[in-house]
Amino acid sequence: MSTQGQILAGFLAPHPPHLVYGENPPQNEPRSRGGWENLRWAYERARRSLERLKPDVLLVHSPHWMTQVGHHFLGVRHLAGKSVDPIFPNLFRYNFELEVDVELAEACCAEAREVGLVGKMMRNPNFRVDYGTITTLHMIRPQWDIPVVGISANNSPYYLSTEEGLEEMDRLGKATRRAIEKLGRRAVLLASNTLCHWHFHEEPEIPEDMSREHPQNYEGYLWDMRIIELLRQGKTREVFELLPTFIQEAFAEVKSGAFTWMFSAMGYPELPGELHGYGTVIGTGNAVMEWDLTARA
Amino acid sequence: MPLVAAMLVPGSPLPMLRPDNPPWQPLVQGFAQARERLAASQPEVLLLYSTQWIAVLDQLWQTRAHLQGLHVDENWYEFGDLPFDLRVDTALAEACVEGTRALGVNAKGVDYDGFPLDTGTIVACRMLDPEGRLPIVLAANNLYHDWAQTKRLGAMAAEQAERAGKRYAVIGIGGLSGTVFRHEISIEDDHFATPADDALNQQLFAALARGNESGLEAECAAYAGAARADMGLKHLAFVLGAMGNRGFGTEVLGYGPVWGSGAAVIDFTGAGLAQGI
Ligand SMILES: [Fe+2]
Repeated sequence: MSTQGQILAGFLAPHPPHLVYGENPPQNEPRSRGGWENLRWAYERARRSLERLKPDVLLVHSPHWMTQVGHHFLGVRHLAGKSVDPIFPNLFRYNFELEVDVELAEACCAEAREVGLVGKMMRNPNFRVDYGTITTLHMIRPQWDIPVVGISANNSPYYLSTEEGLEEMDRLGKATRRAIEKLGRRAVLLASNTLCHWHFHEEPEIPEDMSREHPQNYEGYLWDMRIIELLRQGKTREVFELLPTFIQEAFAEVKSGAFTWMFSAMGYPELPGELHGYGTVIGTGNAVMEWDLTARA
Repeated sequence: MPLVAAMLVPGSPLPMLRPDNPPWQPLVQGFAQARERLAASQPEVLLLYSTQWIAVLDQLWQTRAHLQGLHVDENWYEFGDLPFDLRVDTALAEACVEGTRALGVNAKGVDYDGFPLDTGTIVACRMLDPEGRLPIVLAANNLYHDWAQTKRLGAMAAEQAERAGKRYAVIGIGGLSGTVFRHEISIEDDHFATPADDALNQQLFAALARGNESGLEAECAAYAGAARADMGLKHLAFVLGAMGNRGFGTEVLGYGPVWGSGAAVIDFTGAGLAQGI
């Protein structure tokens, strides 16, 4: 292993369970006739990139492990169980099994404490990993053969203010980067976030009936296109200037912090992001995007 | 058939998992008293609404007959696991699904192995009915439903229980003042996040003790805003909906802090509720 680790790439990797449902992997109980192909094809491209990058570890920050006292890290070597989505139990009942890079998780936690955050290791072997983490990990690497670091979303952007919360996520990102570098890991970061989060309040009778799928509203769609265009042009600073307004007007899930955490860890590169694809899921806007930092060198 | 008991109880697992911790003793003792009173009222079914069971699409009702498993809270996992073994009154739950639809609200029954039961429901059931003798009906907290909508759901659930000819109790599961400590604490030093929160909680108790007065709901709304109440106190709305026009008083059986937030076991008493058989 090299002396200094590095972040190879970051992915915006949203977690609608519909994507797993549409794919019909053996781990998921419900069966579908497909659906959400734009996004599933986008993830296929992202999978090929990941294969080329050959990281030692995947780090994922998920809004659906929401914690109140600090930022938590999965800290049990092997975790397994059945994850049922509380909102879409008809679509997602997934038997998961994953390996955690506990050493890196502990280092991330320690570095988070160094920068004044409350960091906490989750040591309960019966813990059920949240469906956001599992969906993102399945979609990016269905083989489950790369160790992971799972990070909770502290509720600070909701409990305090968006700005205060995202400032914490910025520090968490810097701490994560230091831990990766110190331990010599070659890491890929996964920001498990949807963009515009306005959604329908009713599911179609056949969830995968794509004749019913479209953006929930035009304003939200326009916001998504604006943000994606800026990201594709590498105008990162401009995106982060707009972020609080985007969050407020598009109810964007990036409020929960994963996106900020990832960009902070990568040093907010003004690097054009590669859009693998965009699509809506029950009206919400989702983009699969990649920032390959190895290409920059 | 009658409504035999109505209660508000906290959904935090901490007092149950650390019953010897001095600041949490009043809640543990309050639960013990509530358990005795509930048993004495001889309900045949418990109607439960928990703020921690979050729904966003439909109004969900648990319709799986037997719920068994091990839950680990996403925040408080280090304090211990939460095993559960509960029976659902599926006929009444299905009636509530239909009753919700009749109100013009989308509703679904949830019947899946491994569905994540919320911490509050598990805590309330284990503290109030440790042997799991009583069948339950579980309602989710839909984030898009306001106080009035939640009240209508409580009223509807009570009506369904009446139609089924059951002696029933209604339990709202949730917290009071919602300001919490955001750092590690020594649990033996737990206290209210601010004295103002404590004062607000006491004002709420006084308002509830006066009973079903016209000003109660306005006081609850003001309290919910000022005290950052758990989910706008919708668990209380559900109970009040079930109470309907009955007169009542309330008695606080236990009150204390949980990681800075306010929590209480409150029993609704009075002439409006049927006494034991
Ligand atoms: Fe989400």
